[in-house]
Amino acid sequence: MAVPPVRRRRRASLVAVAAAFLAPALISLIVLRLAPAAVALWESLFRESFLRGGTVFVGFENYADLFGNADFNNALLVTLVFSAIVNPLQIAVSFLLAVLYTRKAAGAKVWRSLVVLPIAVPPAVSAVVWSVIYRPDGLGNSFLDLLGLPAQPFLTSPQQSLASIMVLLSWIGVGYWMLFLIAGINDVPNELYEAASIDGASAWRKLWSVTFPLVRRPLAFVLVADTVSNFLIFAPVQILTKGGPSGSSNLLMYDIYTRAYTLGDLSKAQAEVIILVLLTLAVVALQFRLLRSSDAA
Amino acid sequence: MSTVAAAKASGRRTLGCIALSILGACVGLLFLIPLWWTFVNSLRPGGDTFRYLNPLQWETFFTMTPSLDNYAELLRSNLGLAMLNSIFVSAATVVIGLGICSMAAFALAAIPFRGSGAVFVVVVVSFLIPFDAIAIPLADLFRDWNLQNTYAGLILPGLGNGMAIFLLRTFFLAIPKDLVEAGRLDGLGWWGIFRRIYLPLSVPSLIGAGLTLFLFQWQSYVWPLLNGTDEQHILGPIALSNLQGQFNVDYGVMFAGSIVLTVIPLAIIIGFQRYFIQSVTTTGLK
Repeated sequence: MAVPPVRRRRRASLVAVAAAFLAPALISLIVLRLAPAAVALWESLFRESFLRGGTVFVGFENYADLFGNADFNNALLVTLVFSAIVNPLQIAVSFLLAVLYTRKAAGAKVWRSLVVLPIAVPPAVSAVVWSVIYRPDGLGNSFLDLLGLPAQPFLTSPQQSLASIMVLLSWIGVGYWMLFLIAGINDVPNELYEAASIDGASAWRKLWSVTFPLVRRPLAFVLVADTVSNFLIFAPVQILTKGGPSGSSNLLMYDIYTRAYTLGDLSKAQAEVIILVLLTLAVVALQFRLLRSSDAA
Repeated sequence: MSTVAAAKASGRRTLGCIALSILGACVGLLFLIPLWWTFVNSLRPGGDTFRYLNPLQWETFFTMTPSLDNYAELLRSNLGLAMLNSIFVSAATVVIGLGICSMAAFALAAIPFRGSGAVFVVVVVSFLIPFDAIAIPLADLFRDWNLQNTYAGLILPGLGNGMAIFLLRTFFLAIPKDLVEAGRLDGLGWWGIFRRIYLPLSVPSLIGAGLTLFLFQWQSYVWPLLNGTDEQHILGPIALSNLQGQFNVDYGVMFAGSIVLTVIPLAIIIGFQRYFIQSVTTTGLK
């Protein structure tokens, strides 16, 4: 196509201007986000060779070894079990609280802000605070005692360690997700509730048939964002349980960390990074499907 | 409707309102307890942390003799330096990061150049890859580049934030293109249009994006653990968790540190509440 020289020059200069504005951000995104992922992918295909020195290409052998490794399989299983429980739980609680705090009730705004308050607590701080609550002589057992329940071991029990981590994460997470759902619920037009009332719908019926379908979009977003963030849990595991007792709280992020630094097996750790990234990308891809289908509906 | 039925219905409604208020209050207080307990314990000597726990009593949650000794001790300890490091690193991230991200968002929203679609794809892909997941390979690169245990090494990964760029671009797109034309006629270059027209009009979204950048950095744990653990560059959360692992823990100081690490972001979130909610809903719903 023949483009007049002046316009072509103008277009070229536009690209140059845009490039100047974009360069710092693009460089940092490429070097600090995309490059490490590419490096992990590349290095996961190699293995250190003691015979020849340096590294040798091994294809997908690191991945095959990982899936044959009992510790990795356990970490993968623990992560999937953790996700299957913590995400529905957090979202159900956030949704019910969002409904509760958008009803007309005395002091609803004040009580709501108390639930939101813990979102300012950094995950590491939450872990440190709960480490004291979970001590045998800590606040947790004092409350159980008040309710007449026997003292629990919490973090030192293979049956309770993962659940204990879920509780401290929900404490800082639920209020955050609730904010999205409250915004969604407030967008539901009031007339719809009034119409449902005239039809004689009960409160439960209104919740299921009016509120729930209309906040599907924020719910889908919260579901995916929550799932992704829960795949990446690290601080509470590293601070509280070190993955134990006997691997019961060994989530993938912590398994990668120990594989890279305690076991010193960097190439397998890189393969595990790739598996984790693929897992999260799969969840995000699911989000786009969910959102698109809710648009169509 | 008869008056009796109406009175019954409104009576039920009042009853429901009271029940909801009580339920709401109980849940709210339940969420407050851990933080409140932490706060009260930061005001009394570390030796008293476990004194009022068995059985639970009013003194578990209140103290008649509050003292700021733990906070004074905090300032003298290594944890104090770690807090200062956290503040410095987060502030630098917000200032530099906002500059970088808003420039990129401006180019994507206002400059009609070829390839802008492709650049936007790079931005989106880069924020779909969770940073924590690639922190270990990146730490390996930073070791090779001699950026370990430096402030630059701590700050750099927080600067280019795909989410912040996305937020700002959404806002910039709503600014009428006529203003760009008018600016050009007045002899402004692209930089002038960015500085004089776009930035002043976008203060709310800049605050929202600044909060995103700040919270990313303030809440981070994996990266500062991998990249900056020497005494000079250690950040607050890492120093606090090191304290927790020690044999002889001064719980008073530990709780004071927890409160400081929480109150700083809390004050910022409350101060900019409106913008925080706005940025939350924009990321969620758009």
